[in-house]
Amino acid sequence: MVKEIERTGIPVVHICTVTPISMTVGANRIVPAIAIPHPLGNPELPFDDEYALRRKLVDKALEALSTEVDDQTIFEV
Amino acid sequence: MKLEVGYIDIKGIRFGDYNAVEDGILIVNPEPLLEPVLEDPLIKSAHFEIATPGESIRITPVKDVIEPRVKVEGGGGVFPGMVSKVDTVGSGKTHVLRGMAVVTAGPIVGFQEGIIDMTGLGAEYTPFSKLHNLVLVMEPVENFKQHEYEAAARLAGLRTAAAIGELAKELVPDETVVYETPSVAESFKEEWKDLPRVGYVMMLQSQGLLHDTYVYGVDAKRTLSTMISATEVMDGAIVSGNCVSACDKNTTYHHQNNPVIHDLLAVHGKLINFVGTIITNENVYLDDKIRSSDWTAKMANYLSLDAAIITQEGFGNPDTDLIMNCTKLEKQGIKTVIITDEYAGQDGKSQSLADADELANAVVTGGNANEVVVLPSLDRVIGTLDYVDIVAGGHDGSLRPDGSIEAELQIIIGSTNEMGFNRMSAR
Repeated sequence: MVKEIERTGIPVVHICTVTPISMTVGANRIVPAIAIPHPLGNPELPFDDEYALRRKLVDKALEALSTEVDDQTIFEV
Repeated sequence: MKLEVGYIDIKGIRFGDYNAVEDGILIVNPEPLLEPVLEDPLIKSAHFEIATPGESIRITPVKDVIEPRVKVEGGGGVFPGMVSKVDTVGSGKTHVLRGMAVVTAGPIVGFQEGIIDMTGLGAEYTPFSKLHNLVLVMEPVENFKQHEYEAAARLAGLRTAAAIGELAKELVPDETVVYETPSVAESFKEEWKDLPRVGYVMMLQSQGLLHDTYVYGVDAKRTLSTMISATEVMDGAIVSGNCVSACDKNTTYHHQNNPVIHDLLAVHGKLINFVGTIITNENVYLDDKIRSSDWTAKMANYLSLDAAIITQEGFGNPDTDLIMNCTKLEKQGIKTVIITDEYAGQDGKSQSLADADELANAVVTGGNANEVVVLPSLDRVIGTLDYVDIVAGGHDGSLRPDGSIEAELQIIIGSTNEMGFNRMSAR
């Protein structure tokens, strides 16, 4: 999916827990997610803290999208 | 550690009004065996059924397969931390009821339970079709919590197997085999100095959400990689709490009879020097995957291994744990062979593993779990066919009107086992 969308010229960021798999399949912009059962949040956190965490992930993903890369890049959160 | 295992061959199971093993026949009086099972408030009903190799029987959905064993001498009891108190096992003497298993089945625990066919094509794919199976069919109460029922069904199976194992305590075994594992100091003895130092890295499924394995009662996802003696594994120190896809779940029976351990011990001191077994987990956090594989590599280095066999459980993200374990050993100069299976699509043309690396250059595969098979209608069903369409490997319409089943190999217990437990092979 990542590669097919990028082929049309639209940049893609892959938010993914297991970043080595993302590297293997060839994503160019990768943002590490939280965990496989809950990639974009953490149910163990209080609501406000979790909201902040989710916001941080999305901000990082947007930052990655707008960053020029010349190789596969992991954007650490 | 040194363990003498006495195998008592079971040639049949029948119901009777007492519990005993007589002349290789297990006689089962259900009532006293079911009493402790039914004490659990989550289990509404339970009964036994018997399935014999070659009979036209389909058992589904199957949760676990367990071999009855009993400690005769030495510390601890079988399934320590689960059924017996926590105490180190793996020494002394153990009796095994060989040729039979306790199979737990009934309305579904997780959506990845599978099928044992006792005859036909399906029987070819599962090792458990060759066993005399005492099937414990359970039904949960209404409004149960799935993870609590998993624990209840898991314990019911283990307790039943332990109770049947007790029947063999005073018997004279048909065959006795002594298994011995060396200490680190012994592994350096002069006699073995020219043999390659080989270790076994056993990956335990620990993704959580009904994908769990227990070591001495400890949930493996809460542990760091550690070491265990091969003989402890034989005494049931590792048990399955897994509802991963049926084809590549390591049932408790697989652990008790781990073929990698048995094959390495068989050539230990002759072809190789089997130094030890490392157990490591397959967690859902990337940091855990990195930490656990780092730890595995540190222990492999600490043991001065020349080579290791790595086995996996499940598929998908655990492929990353597998590749991390493999590459981190290889980068230390430790040669590896990995045993895995493949999800290469129904046509076999897709990438087989979710992760890969050129250092993983020696691979044994248990087969393609996506391969489609058609299983014939069988005369009798133990359990229920209600879930065939929704378990992993099945699809809407898998169960055909004539009772036959079209599904992926995934649906058959043990069909692509990643310890290499299978009988089928190809060139």
